[in-house]
Amino acid sequence: MATERDQVHPFEARVDAPYWAALGEGQLRIQRCVRCLRWCWPADWRCPGCGSYDLGWPEVEPVGTVYSWVRSHLPFVAAYADLVPYVDVLVELPGAGGARLLGLLTGPEDALAIGAPVRGSFQPPADRTIGLPVLTWALDRGDEK
Amino acid sequence: MNRPAQVAAVGYGCSPFYKRGTSPHAERKLLLMAIDEAARMAGIDAADIDGFVSYGADQQDGPRLTGPLGTKELRWSSLVWGGGGGGSAGAIAHAQAAIVSGQAETVVVYRATAESSSGRLSSAVIQGVFGAQYRAHGIDAPAQALGLRTQRLLEHDGIPRSALRAIAQASYHHANNTPWAIGRDVRLTDEAYDHARRIADPVRLFDSSRENDAAAAIVFTSAERAAELSATPVYLLDAAHGARGPRWGELDENHEPYTASSQAAPAHRIWTRTGLGPADVDVVQLYVNFTGPPVSALIDLGFCTAATAGEVLTFDNLVAPTGRLPINTSGGDLAEGFLHGMGNAVEAIRQLRGESANPVPGARTCLVSGGPLSELSSVALFSTDPDPRPRPTTS
Repeated sequence: MATERDQVHPFEARVDAPYWAALGEGQLRIQRCVRCLRWCWPADWRCPGCGSYDLGWPEVEPVGTVYSWVRSHLPFVAAYADLVPYVDVLVELPGAGGARLLGLLTGPEDALAIGAPVRGSFQPPADRTIGLPVLTWALDRGDEK
Repeated sequence: MNRPAQVAAVGYGCSPFYKRGTSPHAERKLLLMAIDEAARMAGIDAADIDGFVSYGADQQDGPRLTGPLGTKELRWSSLVWGGGGGGSAGAIAHAQAAIVSGQAETVVVYRATAESSSGRLSSAVIQGVFGAQYRAHGIDAPAQALGLRTQRLLEHDGIPRSALRAIAQASYHHANNTPWAIGRDVRLTDEAYDHARRIADPVRLFDSSRENDAAAAIVFTSAERAAELSATPVYLLDAAHGARGPRWGELDENHEPYTASSQAAPAHRIWTRTGLGPADVDVVQLYVNFTGPPVSALIDLGFCTAATAGEVLTFDNLVAPTGRLPINTSGGDLAEGFLHGMGNAVEAIRQLRGESANPVPGARTCLVSGGPLSELSSVALFSTDPDPRPRPTTS
């Protein structure tokens, strides 16, 4: 479960609630200004480009490239302790103006490098993910679909 | 132009660096003792301190200290918001603002953390940082976020690993001569560094600071009054905090430029206002929560570029008394003890008063860098001379 430091009451009042709701429906949606079309990420209440408060949530394909990565050897998060060592990737989304998302890397790691293409998979809410639906990422080796 | 300096440090106090959770004193007591020590050195009554500044979620707010200190009048109390240790030299900028504007006359800048009595300060510091976008993916520690940024520094920007190692080895080398340093007995050989326990690739054990229980305080006053109080006033030439980007702030790893330290903006301001530059700096106290960020800081401060980092950042260059760019002369955050950067400011004052365990011969200026590679960072520049002239450029 999300703990109290994540809560505004209710959770649906968070500015990024549409992002989490969409993930739960198997869609990646990133905030974008309706007026000037600037991608706004992480989500907030105001477009930093034009000052508009009219912000939408277009769907984006969950594909991108590795912007950076880190391999955790210590159980920094108890719910991930059984996965140690695990790799998180910071993924840049070309389809969303270069917005970057964090996520667990699954599958083979041999081609892990900055710039490597990755594809996301939708995962249902779990205790491990503080009760939130998430994307995990796998290196896209081109020979697979 | 800010010269001549209008503000000076007249005293400092620093507790021992206790292993986290083992301070024999409560956090506020530890801090009060550090403030007393600083006041004694300054030759003032602690009750005359009229300004209080800290940073990054410190729990000891100024008004709470006035009771036990017997403060005669409280005139200034402020906290640098955000950025954890990024505000460490920013707190010095607050003291400067208070004194130059006449809001306060005697300002103490301080930091205290004692897990044994007040819980983990780092928890408070990171509380707002690691939200759902991190924790849902198994990230909840500075080592992991700084690991991501450091990996890009190495793999994409081309910073050699040797630069990180040199920073760690110079820090431990200085600690070896510093009787109170937590790393005084650690001989950090190449082998020990290279084969150390992996924390969060690319971060290994000796790339990583470990938080201590400690408190430190520095008393600032006007340069005019400092000259009356102290035979060795250390002048604050300038201090600044902030950041600039195309995108900056707490942005869940979406800040831009990603591996720039946020030192560029405050550095530009202090160089412009003092008319000085990197060539005028004799010693640097870098913020080394991990070894990647200080490399980024040195680039943004103008001491090297990404391309020259490997040749400039060598062990020989970084150690006192012979190196051209001595850093962290007490051992710093890695090897003296970690107090979110406050130990670096204390060592800057110590060094310029001639009291460092690793003296830099003839040192006239010392720069303190606070909390780079985060959404906010800070810089302070100290000197033994209230009005040092820039060195002629040789090239």
